[in-house]
Amino acid sequence: MSDILTIAEAARQIAAKQLSPVELTKSHLGRIRRLNPKLNAFLLVTEERALADAQTAEARQMTGTLRGKLDGIPIAHKDIYNTAGIRTTAHSKLLEHNVPTRDAHTVKKWADAGAVMLGKLATHEFAFGGPSFDLPWPPPCNPWNTDHFTGGSSSGTGAAVAAGMIQGGTGSDTGGSIRGPAALCGIAGIKPTYGLSSRVGILPLAFTLDHAGPMAWTAEDCALLLQGIAGHDPEDPASVNRSVPDFTADLDKGAKGLRIGVVRHFFETDHRASVATRAGIDAAMDFFRKEGAEVRDISLSPAADYHAVGYLTMITEAFTLHAPWMRERFMDYGELFRDRVALAATVSGPDIIQTVRRRRVLCQEMGTAMDNLDIIVSAAQPAEAPRIADVTKWANMEKPSFTMPFNVTGFPAISVCTGFGEGGLPVSMQLVGKPFSEPIVFRAAHAYEAAMPWRARRPEMT
Amino acid sequence: MSTPVIDEAELARILARSGLKLTPDQVRAILPGVPIFQQIVERVNRPLPREAEPALTFNVEQR
Repeated sequence: MSDILTIAEAARQIAAKQLSPVELTKSHLGRIRRLNPKLNAFLLVTEERALADAQTAEARQMTGTLRGKLDGIPIAHKDIYNTAGIRTTAHSKLLEHNVPTRDAHTVKKWADAGAVMLGKLATHEFAFGGPSFDLPWPPPCNPWNTDHFTGGSSSGTGAAVAAGMIQGGTGSDTGGSIRGPAALCGIAGIKPTYGLSSRVGILPLAFTLDHAGPMAWTAEDCALLLQGIAGHDPEDPASVNRSVPDFTADLDKGAKGLRIGVVRHFFETDHRASVATRAGIDAAMDFFRKEGAEVRDISLSPAADYHAVGYLTMITEAFTLHAPWMRERFMDYGELFRDRVALAATVSGPDIIQTVRRRRVLCQEMGTAMDNLDIIVSAAQPAEAPRIADVTKWANMEKPSFTMPFNVTGFPAISVCTGFGEGGLPVSMQLVGKPFSEPIVFRAAHAYEAAMPWRARRPEMT
Repeated sequence: MSTPVIDEAELARILARSGLKLTPDQVRAILPGVPIFQQIVERVNRPLPREAEPALTFNVEQR
């Protein structure tokens, strides 16, 4: 069992005055000093800010005025989240010296909840171009094996959580950028329902696919972190004005009675996942059945259909955003970002319209499929993390993604660890809910995690 | 609907039209991605059911 606390454990100890936020923060700063030279997860460590945040949290602890379960919890932000007065680079030469004047909405919400900010985390360039070796900072390495890829684009958050450098952090997810690194780093990460969390102050990649969400060691911690950022923001046109439920309320209700549909063709025929990935999902479904859930296979359009709609939407929207800079400063981007996004220039108007129409059909299909289900299950990644040197420039187009379907539809989806593959790195699955059914998604994920041994095992380097 | 093949000269023309004035080497770096991307474009262009956008679309072949 690891000595690294989860957020839930730390929050309990802080509330009981058994754990000092300052000592907890110092412990994480020490781990960052020790591990970041090997992992490159942090682009910037804000030690002074962290200690100041921790001292303020500790003062509240002493006076019995804690603001909630995130008070005193060490976190960090993906470096596309604006932080007032603190460099925010998108891991790009183009914004190497960019210092925002205002916090992202989500950054402010966690700060208001008392979270302790340890710094800014590596990302694929502008949340898309990676893993890249031609940027001002190197890409992060996977804590389970530093020759291997973290996944992306929330690569630094994945590595930092897995290595215990932070207890949780922000990610953004346009085609899988939270769930991918969560899967490959063996942690939990949720892409909430589109519109549940504000994107204001987060550097965008694709307007209609971008989601902001948390990554942490457990689903329970993700629920606590999401509680801190969910809610209406009138500045985000996609933000939904509805009450925010208690994401932890149903955590202990177990899996009994859940109706689960497995999109088996996604990971068995459309894009065949590794033996360990498929075995992990099968074992998880056995668990859910034994707990009293109803599990059956369901069929959707091929994963490639969802991927095509999502990918084409993503790069055309990204090109719309970046074209002014790409026209003037093309070579200031890394090769992966600039060459991938430039392909959007080949897209025609009819292509876009067909994409929009097909997206509507796919959203309707998935909504109908979920009429009699609570959870959809698929793989989150095809296998363990590959060697970082083996990830090619066009890899994200060559095979359909397992995560993109739920960006296309906007449904909430969490990635959780289902064990380890032949190479000793984590494998994973995705649990997907109906729009705004995050409490059920967390309930299913927590029931699974609590019954399995995977959360007790951390990378050896920690 | 089959997507027209894009060779290096055509790609350079398309990129220039979108305002990206690239060197031949820069165009050649993008070119290997074109056929992979074209498969994605072809997939979104396969026929759709009429329900795809009933109020806003029509088929010119339809009577």
